[in-house]
Amino acid sequence: MVVGFDQVSKTYGNVRAVDGLSLRLHPGETVALLGPNGAGKSTTLDLLLGLKQADAGTVSVFGLNPREAIVAGRVGAMLQSGGLMDEVTVRELVKLACDLHPKPYKVTDVLARAGISQIADRKVNKLSGGQSQRVRFALATAGDSDLIVLDEPTTGMDVSARQAFWATMREQADQGRTVLFATHYLEEADAIADRVLVLHRGRLLADGTAAEIKAKAGARRISFDLEGEIDEAPLRALPFLTAVDVSGQTIRIQSSDADATVHALYGLGVYPRNLEVAGLGLEQAFVAITEAEEAKEAPQS
Amino acid sequence: MNALIKLELARALRNRKFLFFSVIYPSIIFLLVASQGGTGETVDNSGLSVAAYVMVSMASFGALTAVLMGNSERIAKERESGWVRQLRLTTLPGRGYVLAKTASAAVVSLPSIVVVFLIAASVKHVRLDAWQWLALTGAIWAGSLVFAALGVAIGYLASGDAVRPITMITYFGLSILGGLWWPSSSFPTWLQDIAKWLPTHAYAALGRAIEQSQAPKAQDIAILVVFFALFVGGAAWLYRKDTLKA
Repeated sequence: MVVGFDQVSKTYGNVRAVDGLSLRLHPGETVALLGPNGAGKSTTLDLLLGLKQADAGTVSVFGLNPREAIVAGRVGAMLQSGGLMDEVTVRELVKLACDLHPKPYKVTDVLARAGISQIADRKVNKLSGGQSQRVRFALATAGDSDLIVLDEPTTGMDVSARQAFWATMREQADQGRTVLFATHYLEEADAIADRVLVLHRGRLLADGTAAEIKAKAGARRISFDLEGEIDEAPLRALPFLTAVDVSGQTIRIQSSDADATVHALYGLGVYPRNLEVAGLGLEQAFVAITEAEEAKEAPQS
Repeated sequence: MNALIKLELARALRNRKFLFFSVIYPSIIFLLVASQGGTGETVDNSGLSVAAYVMVSMASFGALTAVLMGNSERIAKERESGWVRQLRLTTLPGRGYVLAKTASAAVVSLPSIVVVFLIAASVKHVRLDAWQWLALTGAIWAGSLVFAALGVAIGYLASGDAVRPITMITYFGLSILGGLWWPSSSFPTWLQDIAKWLPTHAYAALGRAIEQSQAPKAQDIAILVVFFALFVGGAAWLYRKDTLKA
């Protein structure tokens, strides 16, 4: 087992950033930690890297505590807000990272792999946002680590830089490394990860392949008005529904297969007016999944 | 950790402004102040010529500049930028960052001491025995660790816009009140009573005792030791607090 979280919690004041989280990562997986801002992604990674201590539960990395795993050179990490030492060149900084790693690669190789050979002699404080991200990536991959952790690595990159970055990342994964990255882009998780963990309010909402998560989060919102007396029962019996809300003459429903639901709706013999079908944003999709989860939990409690 | 010390040092030596203020500037003040005294004149019954007296003041001042200014602002800035956090993801031990900063500051402070001595000996003809030169260099260099610890403490205490003013007030306050710029014997009595308890005052007194071939006063050594313990303890406490928060 690469990473094990066992009932881990972390609280800031009244906010439970991570709430009884349990998860396991296995060797060679590329895992996306997906969730809206404030879902607890960064805190989860901080706990995994030993930057923060859990209030409850245990975190283990390769069977060690996080700090021991880092000292053993088994983890390379790139932080979202990882500042860099300024007034030194990119090459000097990468050399420092190599010197500090127990199983270092050659500096020129690290520079080349991160795509920063051309800017190696530039001062770190003179770089663009995307270039700085690449330098951070170089620091995370300066040695032969078994686990690479990346917190929102493509922040500040344009589309082409993003693609180039993920190509580099994929090479890391192809060498048999375990890669864990946090993102709030569903598309990134879909394109890169073989496993997606959905985090919401510090809890693990879903754990599956990208396709499974996408089906869950790919719900659509259908809204329409009906005239006269509304008979709710047949509406609630429509196929693929995940949520129904009737307020006055307006009905709002969520469906995991909008085409089938709308088709069935007309089959009821009603005349929906102002029909709208819209995709859910990721944020709303999470709310949809959460509501579904909470509804599932409710009868038990 | 050596890798970080080397890089910190390379960066410090590249920073011309910092080098000017810590290495060249004290020598310039030395020349200006020492030139005001006549050759036969001595300073307040110490038996030391103006040049010898000011030489110790300015060597101490230069070392103080190098270690205090070098540490506080950088640490505060790098704490805020997240570089300190990034370093915690390497094999570097927790204290390694602070030790590397202090070590590189100490390397810069050595030339700031030696340059004042060289100028004093060559331009102002200050003459001392060989052991005195060595002991002076060693005492002023070692004593600067007290202020290096203070710099670390300020770096972990203050953040953002507050670091510079706090550093400046501490730096000028300690330099002037400790008698590094003017002999504290020129102060009013009430101020002298305060000044003699300052670490900078004890620091310069240590150097002057060596120039006078005397044993340093126990009170001065005690003051330096107490302040060193205070600053190191404070820095360690603030460091731990910052690490838990980050």
